[in-house]
Amino acid sequence: MVLQTRFSSRLAARFPVLTGFGLLVGLLPRPAAAQAPTDTLRSQQLPTVRVAGLRPTRFAVGSRQLTLDSVALSNYRSGTLADALGARTAIYLKNYGPGQLSSISLRGTSARHTAVLWNGFNINLPSLGEADFALLPINGTTQVDIQPGPAGATYGNGAVGGTVRLSAAANSPADWGRGWHGTAQGDYGSFGLGAGLATAGFSNQKIALRTSFNYRRADNDFPYYTREGGGRVRRYQENAAFRQASFSQDATLRLGQHGELSAAAWLTDADRQIQPGIGTNNTRAQERDQSRRLMAAYRRVSTGAEWAVRAAWFEDVINYRDEVSGLSESTVRTSQAQAEHTWRLAPNASVRLGAEAQHFAAHVDGYGAAPRTENRYSGFLLLRYDPRPRLQLSLNLRQAVLPGRQPPLTPTAGAEWQVLAANRHALSLKANASRSYRAPTLNERYWRPGGNPDLLPEESMGYEGGLAHTFKTTRLTLQTELTGYRQLVDNWVQWTPGASYWSPRNLRQVRAQGLEAGSTLGWQPGAYRLTARGSYAFTSTEKTRGTATDTDPAGRQLPFVPRHTAAVSTDHGWRGWQLGTTLTYTGYRFTDASATAFLPGFLLLNASVGRTLAVAPAWQILVLAQGFNLTNNSYQNYENRALPGRNASLSLRLLWR
Amino acid sequence: MKPFSAFASLPGRLLLGSAAALTLLACDPDNDPTPDSQPIVTNSVYIVNEGNFTRSNAEISLFSKASSSVTNKSLFSSANGRSLGDIAQSMAVRDSLGYIVVNNSNKLEVVSLARFKSKATIENLKLPRYFVAASSEKGYVTETVSYSTASGQVSVIDLKTNKVTRSIAVGKQPEKLAVVGSRLYVTNNGDNTVTVINTTTDVVEGTITVGDGPNSVVADRNGRVWVLSSGKIVYTTTGSTRVSKGSLSQIVPGQLTATTREMPSDQSSPGRLTINGSLDQLYYTYLGGVYTLNINEATLPTKPLIKRGSFYGLGVDPQDGTIYGGLASFTASDKVIRFKSTGAAIDSFTVLAGPNGFVFY
Repeated sequence: MVLQTRFSSRLAARFPVLTGFGLLVGLLPRPAAAQAPTDTLRSQQLPTVRVAGLRPTRFAVGSRQLTLDSVALSNYRSGTLADALGARTAIYLKNYGPGQLSSISLRGTSARHTAVLWNGFNINLPSLGEADFALLPINGTTQVDIQPGPAGATYGNGAVGGTVRLSAAANSPADWGRGWHGTAQGDYGSFGLGAGLATAGFSNQKIALRTSFNYRRADNDFPYYTREGGGRVRRYQENAAFRQASFSQDATLRLGQHGELSAAAWLTDADRQIQPGIGTNNTRAQERDQSRRLMAAYRRVSTGAEWAVRAAWFEDVINYRDEVSGLSESTVRTSQAQAEHTWRLAPNASVRLGAEAQHFAAHVDGYGAAPRTENRYSGFLLLRYDPRPRLQLSLNLRQAVLPGRQPPLTPTAGAEWQVLAANRHALSLKANASRSYRAPTLNERYWRPGGNPDLLPEESMGYEGGLAHTFKTTRLTLQTELTGYRQLVDNWVQWTPGASYWSPRNLRQVRAQGLEAGSTLGWQPGAYRLTARGSYAFTSTEKTRGTATDTDPAGRQLPFVPRHTAAVSTDHGWRGWQLGTTLTYTGYRFTDASATAFLPGFLLLNASVGRTLAVAPAWQILVLAQGFNLTNNSYQNYENRALPGRNASLSLRLLWR
Repeated sequence: MKPFSAFASLPGRLLLGSAAALTLLACDPDNDPTPDSQPIVTNSVYIVNEGNFTRSNAEISLFSKASSSVTNKSLFSSANGRSLGDIAQSMAVRDSLGYIVVNNSNKLEVVSLARFKSKATIENLKLPRYFVAASSEKGYVTETVSYSTASGQVSVIDLKTNKVTRSIAVGKQPEKLAVVGSRLYVTNNGDNTVTVINTTTDVVEGTITVGDGPNSVVADRNGRVWVLSSGKIVYTTTGSTRVSKGSLSQIVPGQLTATTREMPSDQSSPGRLTINGSLDQLYYTYLGGVYTLNINEATLPTKPLIKRGSFYGLGVDPQDGTIYGGLASFTASDKVIRFKSTGAAIDSFTVLAGPNGFVFY
C-alpha cells in the first residue's frame, strides 16, 4: 500500500504533463473512430449501383472502435502487429524481447480474453487460446480494427477484453478499379535487422487481387546492462535471433451485380531463438511457429437481403526445442464454417441470423500420442434499429455450444445518440452492455499432466458508456472520445501448483474497470498536413473474490497490468517530406499478486523522417529513416527480459502507381 | 484438495515393517553412532524462496527465532546489491558458509553467513539441484544435466578453491543427496535407484534399487540411510495411471541393498523426507499433510501429524522440533506456517514466491 501511494503521487506529477500534451496536440481516432457512419457514406459514393454488404461493426453500436488503416500502418509495413500497436496505441502488450512473444492485454484482461479475427475467423492459437502479436506481420494486412470491451454476441469466443480484426480483402470502393500496382521495400537496421517485402496487386471493377510477401530477420545481439557484484555490467543479448516470413494472397471476384466470391491465403513462418531471461540458463531454446490459413467466402447482396457463407482451414504448428527438455511438437488443425443471412427490413432496420461451427484436431506432444479433437458451435442473431435518424440501437444474441459445460446465452445491447449536431460540433453519447464467454483452451483441457476437462467457460458481464465529440472545419478535424467501462469476469482460469503438478482451475472473479480517453487532430492549412493522436488509459483490474484454493489476495491490481498507459503520436507531411513521432508511456506493473514487487514505468520515444520522390511517371521512391527508443532508456517490459537501447533502421521503398 | 482417510495396514506392509525393525537390531558395530551430547542451538532460519521460472527473482529470507519475525525478506540482494538468480533450488550450510544452489542460473553461490556476502560463485554447472559438504574441503552437487538424457551427474567441488574438480555420472535426474561416513548416497529420481559414491576416492561403489522415483534422503542416529520415493505415474491418452506407490527405504551402510516399505495410499506422492535434531524422528509430506514416524516404528503412519499442508517446503528445527511448512502459490507473496512438534499450529509469516526449504543456523 505504501508503495502504491508513493507511486501514484509520482505518476500524478508526471501525468498532467502527458495528458496535457495529448489534449493539446489532440488525437484523432483516425477515420477509425468514424465507424458506422462511414459505411453509409462509402456506399453512397460508389460509382456503380452495387449495394455494399453490412459490416459487422454495424451491429456494434455504442462500442469504441480504433482503426489502423493502411496509412497508419505504412511505417510498419515490414514489421509486425506488435510493433504497430505498441507504438500507436495506449494498449499494453506484454513483450519478452524484440521479435519475441508479445501478448495483448485489452482493458486489463489477459491475452486469452482478446479475440483476434482474420476475415471474420478467430485465429487465436487453439492450444494457447491467444495470439502472439509478434507472429502477425503487417504486410498481409491492410486494416486493423480494434474494438475494446466485451462483444461475445458479435464476435464469439474470447471477445471478453476486446476484439482485434485483421483484413486484407477488397472492402472499400478505393480497392476497385485501381489497375496494376506494386511496392517493394528493403530495410536495414541495428542488431542485424534486415527486411524485405514485395506487394503486387491488380483490380478492375470485376476482380481485385493482392499478393504480398515479406521477410524479416535480426540477430538481436544488443547490449544491455545488469547489476552484478561489481556494479553495472554491460552484457550482450544471446540467443535472441529470429527470422520470419509471410506470404498472403487475396482475391475477390464480383459475380454479376449481387454476388461476390473471395478467397484468401495467409502463410506465416517464424524461426525464433527464445531469448533467455537475464542471468538465467541459456538452453539454446528455439521455436518454430508456422501458420497456414486459407479461407473462401461467397456473399450475395441485394437491396432487401444479403447472405454469406464462409469456410476456413488453419494449421498452426509450434515446435519448441531446447537443450534441457528436448523437442516438443504441436500441430493443431482448425476447420471453421460460417453462414449468415441478413434482412434489411427497412433503411433503418436490419436483422442478421447466423451460425458457426469449429472443429479442432490437435496433435500436441503435451496431450499424449493420440490426437485430440473438439467441436464448438454457436448461433447468433444480430439486430440493428435506428428509431430516429440520430438514435441507433443494436441488440445481439449468441448461444455457444461447447463440449462439457455450457456458457450462458450472451447478449450485447448498444445505443448511440447524437445529442448535438450544430455547426461545426457534433456530440454523441454511447452506451453498451455485453455478456461474453471464453471457452477453455485445448491446453487447459488436455495438457498432461494437469489439464482439467471439467473447467467451466469463463463468463463476463461488462458495461461501458462514453461520449464522442467532433469539431470540424474545412481545414481542421478534432475528434475526442471518452469512455468509462466496468466488467466482471467470473470463473477466471489460472494455472496453480498442486501436490505434484500445475493445473488450471476456475479460481476467481476479476473486476476490470477504467477510463479511456483519446483524441485525434487533423489539420491541413495548405501544403502542410498534420495528424496528431493522443490516448490515455487508466486500468484497474483486481480480484474481487476467489475459491477456497485461491491464495491470491483480493483487492490488488493484477500482476502485469499497468494502471496507466499513454500514447502520443504526430505525423507531419509537407510536399514529399514526412516526419513522425510516437511517444508511449507504460506505467509500473506489479509482478506478483500481492502487489508488492513491481517493474518501473517507462517512456519510449520513436521518430521517423522520410522523403518521397517521384522518379518517373507512376514510380515513386520513399526513403525512410526510423529511430527507436531515442532516449536510450534501459527498461524492462516483462520481468527480467532485456530490451535494446537506442536503435535505428533505414528503409527504401519503391512504389508503382 | 486431496481427501484424507484412515488406511488399514496390510499384513504385507507389517511384514516389511518388522523386517525393517529387525535390521535395526542387527547393527553393524563399525558404524555405531558416536553419541552427540552437545545440544543443538539455532537462532536463525534461512528460507529458500525458489522464485518464478526465468524471472531471476529467487531470494533467501531471514527469520529470527528470537523475535519470531522475518528480519530481512530479501537477504541476498540487500547484502549483495544484485539478484540471487533464477530458481533457488536449495541451500546447505558448512562451517560458517552457506551454499545456495541456483538451478536455472547453473550456479552455486557461496555466502558467508555472518553478513550474507557472496564469497564465490561456482558457475557452469548443469541444472544443479542439491548440495552437500562431506568435509570442509569437499562438497558434492547433483545436476540434472538435461531432462532428455538417461543420466545426470554429481560434481565434486573443492571447497577451498570453489572449483569443480570432477563430475561423476549417476542415474537419471539426481535429487537430494546425503553423506554418511565415507559414502555419498544420491537419489536418482528419474529411476528407482540410489547411487553410492566413495567420498575418499569419488568412485561409484554401486547402485541400490529402491522404490520408483527416490526424491529425498536422510541419515539417522544409527547411521542408517532413509530414502523416500514418490512412486511412478504414467500418463496415458485418457489420463494418468499410477504404476507404483510411494515408498520408504532403509539402507545399511556398506550394503548395496535396501529394505523398502510401500506407502498405504496410491493417491499421493510422498516427498521432502526430513529428520529431527536427535536424528530419530522422520517427517515427510504426503496426502496433503505431514506424516511422521520414529526410526524404530514397525509400520508407516496412516494418520497425519499435520492435516493442513500441501507444503512445498518442509523443515524441522533441530533444536526444538518446530516444524516449518512453506506454502507456494508462485503468484502472490507466499506463506510459511510454524507448528509445534505435536502438530499444533503456532503462527505464520510471509516470505516471497515459492518457499521450498529451510536452513536452521
